[in-house]
Amino acid sequence: MDNANANANVYKPDLMEVVSVRQQTPDVKSLSLRFIDPERARSFSFQVGQFGIFSAFGYGESTFNICSSSNWKDRIEFCFRKVGRVTEALWKTEEHDVVGFRGPYGNGYPMDVWKGHDLVFLGGGIAMPPIRCAVWYALENRADYGEITIVYGARSVADLVYVDELDEWAKHERVRVVRCVDPGGETPDWKGEIGFVPHVFERAQVQSKDPVVLVIGPPIMIKNTLPILDKMGVTPASVYTSIENRMKCGIGKCGRCNVGPIYICKDGPVLTMEQLQQLPADY
Amino acid sequence: MSEIISQSGLRQLVADRIAAGTIVSGPTQVKPKLVLYAVLGSPDDLLLEGFVRPDNSIKECVFPKQEELYGYRIQGNNIELTDGLTNDDLTNDDAPVPKQLVVAARPCDAAALPILDHIFNWDFKDEFYNRRRAATTVVTLACDSHGENCFCTSVGLHPAAERGSDAMLFELGDGSYEVRCITDKGRALFDGKTEESDKVGRADAGPEKKFDPETVRAFVDQHFEDPFWSQHALTCVGCGVCAFTCPTCHCFDIVDAGPSAGNARYRTWDSCQFPMFTAHASGHNPRAGQPSRQRQRILHKFSIYPNKFGEILCTGCGNCTRNCPEGIGVLTVATEIDHG
Repeated sequence: MDNANANANVYKPDLMEVVSVRQQTPDVKSLSLRFIDPERARSFSFQVGQFGIFSAFGYGESTFNICSSSNWKDRIEFCFRKVGRVTEALWKTEEHDVVGFRGPYGNGYPMDVWKGHDLVFLGGGIAMPPIRCAVWYALENRADYGEITIVYGARSVADLVYVDELDEWAKHERVRVVRCVDPGGETPDWKGEIGFVPHVFERAQVQSKDPVVLVIGPPIMIKNTLPILDKMGVTPASVYTSIENRMKCGIGKCGRCNVGPIYICKDGPVLTMEQLQQLPADY
Repeated sequence: MSEIISQSGLRQLVADRIAAGTIVSGPTQVKPKLVLYAVLGSPDDLLLEGFVRPDNSIKECVFPKQEELYGYRIQGNNIELTDGLTNDDLTNDDAPVPKQLVVAARPCDAAALPILDHIFNWDFKDEFYNRRRAATTVVTLACDSHGENCFCTSVGLHPAAERGSDAMLFELGDGSYEVRCITDKGRALFDGKTEESDKVGRADAGPEKKFDPETVRAFVDQHFEDPFWSQHALTCVGCGVCAFTCPTCHCFDIVDAGPSAGNARYRTWDSCQFPMFTAHASGHNPRAGQPSRQRQRILHKFSIYPNKFGEILCTGCGNCTRNCPEGIGVLTVATEIDHG
């Protein structure tokens, strides 16, 4: 891991300049950041699916997926909903402000293992950012992966994030993007599907042999997706998710993110359904 | 042959250390009926007999209740990280760590330190813990009695267990102690301070075994959802005193002391008994009720930690049960599981 200096203060963050701010929805923003230390910017690398501990100085730290592709060397991005003390402070940050970053932490997606497979991404609401990094990575290494299907839904049209990128992905060959909103969440000019992600996914009749599936969203969405995948013949070992238990240290010490014997910050956040089925429902 | 030291000799040793600038901690009578480990201002503050054990633990010496991780200066939209604001913080990698001496620790407190070494050193190394630990010498006083909540013998320890101690003291019953040095730190501390003798100190036989930890482990591994936890949590008020007075509980939070407090990031003790401990930002909480939090504490101590590090996260001190306003603790839960 990134702990080269054995005597270093493992809690001290990197300082990062906010390069750009994007408001995604009425209560979701994404920030693009660059390392202020040029040496750190040069040496930094991560795997898509890993997370960081981001901080607003004076307010505290919060855990977010690094939602940019690991191929983008000039910046990292993360996306957050305004719900508490830290995210209220992050909400107010502007270009050239400085925030803190610790990481990368956790295991990431096994993109090498996924090579040669069709990829199915199923996301609900604010779960799009941790899917987005894997989609971009797969598109940037297009020859390594088969058909790509993305089903993404939110409560309402206004709650969909990275909408412009959904359009961009759909322009790629062998990529199918299905957008949906919960019943009642549509607008008069809504052209996507209406329904919950699992149902919309089932209706989409994805024909795929031995796909890898990444499903991230509220527990109920994941629960209702699994029987559909089972019917398609997808084994739990090929279904991945990212567990988002509350974390503080990110480095396996502070004691709160465990699901049974698994410390999510160290052995996760990416687990297969096969792994998850062996664990108690502590997430 | 044995080495002995008189009680006045021991107090003189403490006085010398205090005078030399060492932070000396030991059991002290804080108020009637309350004995705590605390920093000793004078050797006379050291309480050596007449109590079972202090109501807190010595983990505070290596893992303070709150500890500054680093400071920062905010100037416009520029941030500068600083080593810290306080003089006794360890945020500066090169700052000398004050020497510490814990005197008259209980074996169940000393044994917690090598257990805690695992969590603070697997993969990432926690230098705050490690530097305090390296600067600390632990002199343990073998127990001469045990209380109704003590259960060290159920978790593989006993009143004369040496684990985690640099030196052990055994009462001789005549106002002096047999000294058994275990490590170089212990030998250095007592070098030239003891006399040869043919007396051999003794310790209490300890409590009878009250439960089998393997039985507890098997139960918690197989009863994640079980009415047992609800029954146990009925009277729990969720105060977290079990975790705070436990020698091995080490969960922590990281929080900012904002501008009004001088801008620094701290780690503070936390407890799995608090609802916020696992609350997601979405409002979802994997451990939404007290039963799941009670379960987590037993699960962590008897299954998760042993699976990961090969050791039970409990030394049998009994503090959780002793200090709980409702008398709930590892002892009551584990005993009920074992006697099923």
